[in-house]
Amino acid sequence: MANRFDLPNLGVGLGLRTVHYARILESHPAVDWFEIISDNYMQTAGRPLYYLDAIAERYPIVMHGVSLSIGSTDPLDQAYLAELREVRNRTGARWVSDHLCWTGVAGKNAHDLLPMPYTEEALSHVAARVRQVQDFLGAPLALENPSTYVEFAGASMREWEFLARLADEANCAILLDVNNVYVSAFNHGFDPQTYFDALPFDRVVQLHVAGHTHHGTHIIDSHIGPVIDDVWTLLGDAYRRAGGASVLLEWDAEIPPFDETHAEALRAKEFTGGRAGQAWRA
Amino acid sequence: MASVTAGGADGGKTIVDSVVERERASATPVARHKRLAHAAAPAHANIDRALPDRSLCSLETWFARAVMTPESEAEPTGSGHAERLLTRGPQLAPLERLEVYRRAYHARLIECLLDDYPALAHALGEDAFDALCRAYIARHPSTGPNLNSFGRSMVEFCISEVNSLGVLRGFAADLAALEWAMVEVIHAPTAQPLTLAGLAEVPVERWADAQLVATTAFRLLRFDYPVNIYFQAFRDGRNPKIPEPARSAAAVYRSGPTLWRMDLTEAACALLQALASGQSLSTSLEEAAAALSEISQDDAPGRVTSWFRDWVASGLFARVDFA
Repeated sequence: MANRFDLPNLGVGLGLRTVHYARILESHPAVDWFEIISDNYMQTAGRPLYYLDAIAERYPIVMHGVSLSIGSTDPLDQAYLAELREVRNRTGARWVSDHLCWTGVAGKNAHDLLPMPYTEEALSHVAARVRQVQDFLGAPLALENPSTYVEFAGASMREWEFLARLADEANCAILLDVNNVYVSAFNHGFDPQTYFDALPFDRVVQLHVAGHTHHGTHIIDSHIGPVIDDVWTLLGDAYRRAGGASVLLEWDAEIPPFDETHAEALRAKEFTGGRAGQAWRA
Repeated sequence: MASVTAGGADGGKTIVDSVVERERASATPVARHKRLAHAAAPAHANIDRALPDRSLCSLETWFARAVMTPESEAEPTGSGHAERLLTRGPQLAPLERLEVYRRAYHARLIECLLDDYPALAHALGEDAFDALCRAYIARHPSTGPNLNSFGRSMVEFCISEVNSLGVLRGFAADLAALEWAMVEVIHAPTAQPLTLAGLAEVPVERWADAQLVATTAFRLLRFDYPVNIYFQAFRDGRNPKIPEPARSAAAVYRSGPTLWRMDLTEAACALLQALASGQSLSTSLEEAAAALSEISQDDAPGRVTSWFRDWVASGLFARVDFA
């Protein structure tokens, strides 16, 4: 099963991080693709774009944002959307993603992926905004399931149902972060398989893996350290369910040298039957 | 305090960093979440207003207010509603779960300021810098989707922090001005620099009217403290001490991807400032005459010529206009 948007399986990619710029530009390592944090290349006209242009010239780029704030009750930020489109045009990004969350309200920004109350009202609100964004971009938006640390008492559905219904109502794509599923499953006490069973995998165009930090009572999605085997196993499961999808490793703190980071990303092949990076149909 | 002209010869130029970029938006992952204290939920709940209704807008407003409550407050604003609005997790109470977000909010923005002001953080020490940042966050909460400009008010904030910074106030403001200039120059548009060959095309008879237009990725700063020297010592890991006041000046600029800082003498700074403000070459020399008088008459022409060559070779100018 390929995704219904006909977006390509780009293989195993890495989150582009500034500490790796030099290595990438000096030796052009064989990486299938890079995911950029869209926001790092917005509100700037300088050096970040210098590097972005050089890297986008050689590698496929996918854009991953953190500030769309799709769930906020503040109006959509039109200037932000315009910049997003500008970066996409500049890089030829294969697709654009952000998170199922909100980052602020009443004009203040927390710069965090804040949790949604999974209610009918929120579903209608977010679906309408996703459609607006997609109309603006002229392309499907992929929304990522966030790691969460609270759930709202007034929720009428769980996250997986909300995400599945949202994807259907807004006709958007899904970026499935299997580490986030693992983290939220621990924090809220659900079975990741229940989550997977509810998802429309034909909408999953990309998979994320990352390290996390276990504090005993809860897990924080820290993007530190290697991916644990349980998360790799979930990746393999999700990959099979999706019939193949682009896989990406996020590593955002205590980032090791490029080759070590890339080697960790390539472990995805072990858990996808060596198929990550190939067009693969179930 | 620093005075800034938007926009080596004396003391040479210093590479700042050729590759490393400050990463902002990647603050998303909650790497900055600190370990959650295992405190029991407080007996007396902080109820500052009536229970919000369950509308999306009300819930977001309540949640954001709670998350942005300074950590100096024992509990988040509206924490008394947490038990009714949030569910209990397998191991954490609703308020404990809410606190994960409050801690992350402050930790993330402090880390952002640390990225912008590493030398200031070193100078003040961890605790004082942390306190300064928390006060800054409370006074200047982020209002935009991008963190690039979040730290833009730090210079004025340092100046205003009479009580907390005390005698360090002036030094802190100067150092913050230098570090913020570096941030601005990183993000300033990249301009094609004027080359020495391009400069040579200017006919001799038009030199007096020539206006050297500074590149956008250029800032000229004057200080009451020698903060550029301090910054370099910090970068070199020499654990510098807070210097005594001494007037200084520096240019911060970017050439391609590379950021530079250049110490300037008073004479060089006066001339460069006049040029960067759009004055013609002859007017600039007149304006800088007092400062240039520090140089012997025999040395002045050679020195000025040498500065021009260095400044042009360094890419400080984008083009030549004529008055």
